[in-house]
Amino acid sequence: MNELIGFVNFHLIPGIVLGSIYALGAIGLTLTFGILRFANFAHGETMTLGAFVALVVIDLTNWHVLATLPFAMLLTVLTVLVMDRLFFRPLRTGPTVILLIASFGLMLMMRSAIQIIWGVDLETLSKGLAIPWVLFESLRIFPKHLLIVGAALLLMLGVHGLLRHTPIGKAMRAMSDSPELARMTGIDTERVVMATWITGAVLAAAAGVLLAYDTHLDSRMGFRVLLPIFAAALLGGLGRPYGAMAGGLVIGVAEELSTYSWIGDGPLVSPGYKSGVAFAIMIALLIWRPSGLFRGRVF
Amino acid sequence: MKKSFLITGAAVVATGISSAFAADIKVGSAGGITGPIPDLVAPMMAARDLAAKHINEQGGLLDGDNYMLVKGDSKCDAKGAVDTGQKLVNVEQVVAIIGPNCSGATIGMAESVTIPAGVVILSESATAPSITDLEDKGLVFRNAPSDAYQGAALADMVMESGYNKVAVTYANDDYNKGIAEVFEAAFKSGGGMITASAEHEPEKASYTSEISTLSRSGAEALMVFAYYGSSGTTIIRNSLENGLFDMFFGADGMRNEEIITDIGADNLRGKIMVSAPSSDTESSSYKMFAEEFSAAGEDPSAVYTPGSYDAAFLMALAIEKAGGTDRGAIAEALMEVANAPGEAIMPGQWEKAKAAIAAGRDINYQGASGSIEFDANGDVAGTYSLSVIDNNGKWVEK
Repeated sequence: MNELIGFVNFHLIPGIVLGSIYALGAIGLTLTFGILRFANFAHGETMTLGAFVALVVIDLTNWHVLATLPFAMLLTVLTVLVMDRLFFRPLRTGPTVILLIASFGLMLMMRSAIQIIWGVDLETLSKGLAIPWVLFESLRIFPKHLLIVGAALLLMLGVHGLLRHTPIGKAMRAMSDSPELARMTGIDTERVVMATWITGAVLAAAAGVLLAYDTHLDSRMGFRVLLPIFAAALLGGLGRPYGAMAGGLVIGVAEELSTYSWIGDGPLVSPGYKSGVAFAIMIALLIWRPSGLFRGRVF
Repeated sequence: MKKSFLITGAAVVATGISSAFAADIKVGSAGGITGPIPDLVAPMMAARDLAAKHINEQGGLLDGDNYMLVKGDSKCDAKGAVDTGQKLVNVEQVVAIIGPNCSGATIGMAESVTIPAGVVILSESATAPSITDLEDKGLVFRNAPSDAYQGAALADMVMESGYNKVAVTYANDDYNKGIAEVFEAAFKSGGGMITASAEHEPEKASYTSEISTLSRSGAEALMVFAYYGSSGTTIIRNSLENGLFDMFFGADGMRNEEIITDIGADNLRGKIMVSAPSSDTESSSYKMFAEEFSAAGEDPSAVYTPGSYDAAFLMALAIEKAGGTDRGAIAEALMEVANAPGEAIMPGQWEKAKAAIAAGRDINYQGASGSIEFDANGDVAGTYSLSVIDNNGKWVEK
């Protein structure tokens, strides 16, 4: 019994929380890839920006972390749109590898800007300790974990609604499937591109704030989770938002579960190599099923 | 915007004119300005700058040349240190380098850049035991004692505090791994028991699963060998929130106020003790430094800052002693100016030192952090103390 509770408390729940955060980040990344055809390295920094905006709002108003989400999203969206106008739009007609490299440069610029504005120190959104609810004398549930998973689920439902039931969502899916065909049927591609950036930035800001809420924030937090998020997007199949949700959860849970003592007393995988698990999954997948779980794009 | 641009421009021109007759002698000042320990590094950089200011105010180097510290961000990791080392050595053409701060960064920079280029480096805070054995051609120095001493001292102090069964977790880098190994060996040979020991990867969002495994081993306390900013704070937070451990020990990489503001002084008081090299705060060298550093608006009790001042001061003495900017001669002179015998020089006494060197007398720098006597490996010995959190939420020596 104790074993089971320990498993749920210390492996399964943290895995699901981390997985939901990865999933939010991965949806934005995969949408950008599907529609704009490049892997956006600046996505991690977009998350960091959202988290720091939340920090400013909390410092000014002392509101609850989740109440800062609209502000974080708004400012992040504006920033991303300005960046698109200044850097990506002029390059959009060239080969996509140029966009990829441009996003890498933008990543470095954004990180430096964040370091200049907010410094390089470690910050937290909620100071002090979070005290969990203890159910059945041993199951520990953190209110913040419920809020994080709940907020992530709501946002994912929102993405689902957007893609399935709105004209712009349908246009986004059409453009992801075939840009030429989409243009020929009269879809305004610039509007679709804008909608993609907005959706991606909203989700990235949320992922950043929730990650900062769960742990802490510093100028490198987004870059740190960028690689697992890439792995999640690949796992789900590039360009497949539902795949990204599943991929995020799988990567998050797999990282945490790999350190459980499945065989014997010690952890199955030394926690030092936890990040390696995400990449082992990714490499295995690229070899045996390069389109990902949800049949995404293959290069 | 434009106006401020013009003013900056004018200032640059003005500086150019005033120093037209004196050359700049560039020395690299590398440190982990960004990375996992930015709050520890910022005051160290300030202490180095203070030494440079004292030297330039009292006549400068050689023929009145300007002692110019060129900052570089070594990011507390080997890759960042190699990048910044290459920039300092090849682009800025520095004659020597102070720093970097972290052990991994120091080893990376030394092996890939400065040893091949023949540039001497002097770090005030790189403490990994493995630095002692680098094939460094006499070019790698540090005025922070090796963790071969700190690990053993910490083992004694933990046992004196009444804990004989501890679990160990350490971050996977040169500094933390190094001190953890020394600690474990010393703790066992002193009769203590290591119930479990596990490496962890820094920069993860959560360490709950790692710590839960360690907590099942029946330990009375957790040894946290980590940088506070990349995993230390998270480990302690996760442990307390989940009720896994309620007593922690750590080393100097954890001694920062940030950890207290993050988790809360009341949640931590009486539950955490960290070791750090202690300066003899009664020595006149330390008092001289502390007074000047406080006057500059900085905190002289910030860990390693006396050593930072000493490192920058010593490097200037070595250049003065070498009588020029030849990189090899500076490396040779460094040991001579630091070690006995010779005329005692204390922090701030640049004029006295300059006169002594000009007269051909031997000097012996007595630093704010200690007397600083380099052994053949470029290491110094040290003393340590445990720090606890006081009623004002600050670290104080116990």
